[in-house]
Amino acid sequence: MASPINEPTTPIETDAVIVGAGPVGLFQVFELGLLEIKAHVIDSLAYPGGQCIELYPDKPIYDIPAVPMCTGKELTDNLLKQIEPFGATFHLGHEVNVVARRADGRFDVATAKGTRFISKTIFVAGGVGAFQPRLLRVDGLDKFEGTQLHYRVRDPSQFAGKNLVIVGGGDTALDWTLNFVQGSAHKAESVILVHRRDEFKAAPASVARMHELCDAYEMQFMIGQVTGIDERDGRLSAVKVTGGDGVTRVVPLDVLLVFFGLSPKLGPIAEWGLAIDRKQVVVDTEKFETNVPGIFAVGDINTYPGKKKLILSGFHEAALAAFGAAPYIFPDKRIHLQYTTTSPKLHKVLGVETPVFD
Amino acid sequence: MTHVVLESCIRCKYTDCVDVCPVDCFREGPNMLTIDPDECIDCAVCIPECPVNAILPEEDVPQHQLQFIKLNAELAKKWPSITKRKPAPADADEWKDKKNKLDQLIR
Repeated sequence: MASPINEPTTPIETDAVIVGAGPVGLFQVFELGLLEIKAHVIDSLAYPGGQCIELYPDKPIYDIPAVPMCTGKELTDNLLKQIEPFGATFHLGHEVNVVARRADGRFDVATAKGTRFISKTIFVAGGVGAFQPRLLRVDGLDKFEGTQLHYRVRDPSQFAGKNLVIVGGGDTALDWTLNFVQGSAHKAESVILVHRRDEFKAAPASVARMHELCDAYEMQFMIGQVTGIDERDGRLSAVKVTGGDGVTRVVPLDVLLVFFGLSPKLGPIAEWGLAIDRKQVVVDTEKFETNVPGIFAVGDINTYPGKKKLILSGFHEAALAAFGAAPYIFPDKRIHLQYTTTSPKLHKVLGVETPVFD
Repeated sequence: MTHVVLESCIRCKYTDCVDVCPVDCFREGPNMLTIDPDECIDCAVCIPECPVNAILPEEDVPQHQLQFIKLNAELAKKWPSITKRKPAPADADEWKDKKNKLDQLIR
């Protein structure tokens, strides 16, 4: 039988693992790359960019040196372009849950999905933590997670022909609502959208389409909040929706889909034996190394006297952390500081021509 | 860690803070806002927005207002989310410099 997991189960041996694909994690690839250190990058989100993409993709950033203005999306795209020559391997949609020192001095790193690494160094660029779905807090509901309660849709076909209640007012909630009402591939038997008010964060066009479908009796929209559940024979049979009018209505269902957006959680990072002060990893300011030699922390996740959570500070930290890590990877090599303007060696690793001056 | 809304917010509720929150962690009560400690990421952008300086990081909360840490956590669970600024109560300015307003809080 074919393995359903695409990732190899034998550990990947590498010089560096970067935990977090936000701007600082991405720039860490660059700084390691200049020192000819190859990296694997792991992020819990399904796409690179971290907070820049998840929290403010379209908002302008004004404090990147020499870039008067760019959006979070543009910054991410430009960083991805900048690190292209270094061929980092990305493992997206993976959350690192195990970091442990091996007898040979290297580290075992494993993700919740079972991908394993053996790495000489680790760079924690975890920002404010791994983005996780916000949960619907109703007594007795959590035990249905994964069966009748879902916070993300991995395989839409499993909901085809079902009676769905979808909760939320953002783009994800509206997109899936429209998809399950109109979709020919996996049309649901019925769809009821529940949102706490008649005002949406989702794109106005999706909201307008949703109202059209309601007018055509293709689906229903209810204003209210889920305040309770009904169970029958161990199954979730209905949710109780309390409307703005104070009336609670019982809504039968097969499946409850909740899309309240994502919220970052520090999660397993707190359990890796790193010194932590107020949810941040303590580092020195020479190498941005943690109390565990070989593990570095850069960007919003770290703390030191005078720390400011700025992207540009994270870039500086990434540069010094790369130099700090080099002796673990090349113990016998003397590392020289070289400039990308003038160094033929760096031009080679960057894959560019060395310019000729007259 | 989290940020915490303190006593100064009671009966003022200017809501300037909610517009800037990147993670929508503010919750709205009848006459005060709170921050959901499970959602706040300590980015601190709300602090300078508040006209009455009602928001502080948890560790900077003064001794006599420590109860607001627990109060934020408790009330955030029962109050609805607020993500857009709205007009302050008509008499907000009268209350903004008053101290010891906890007895005015409507839960």
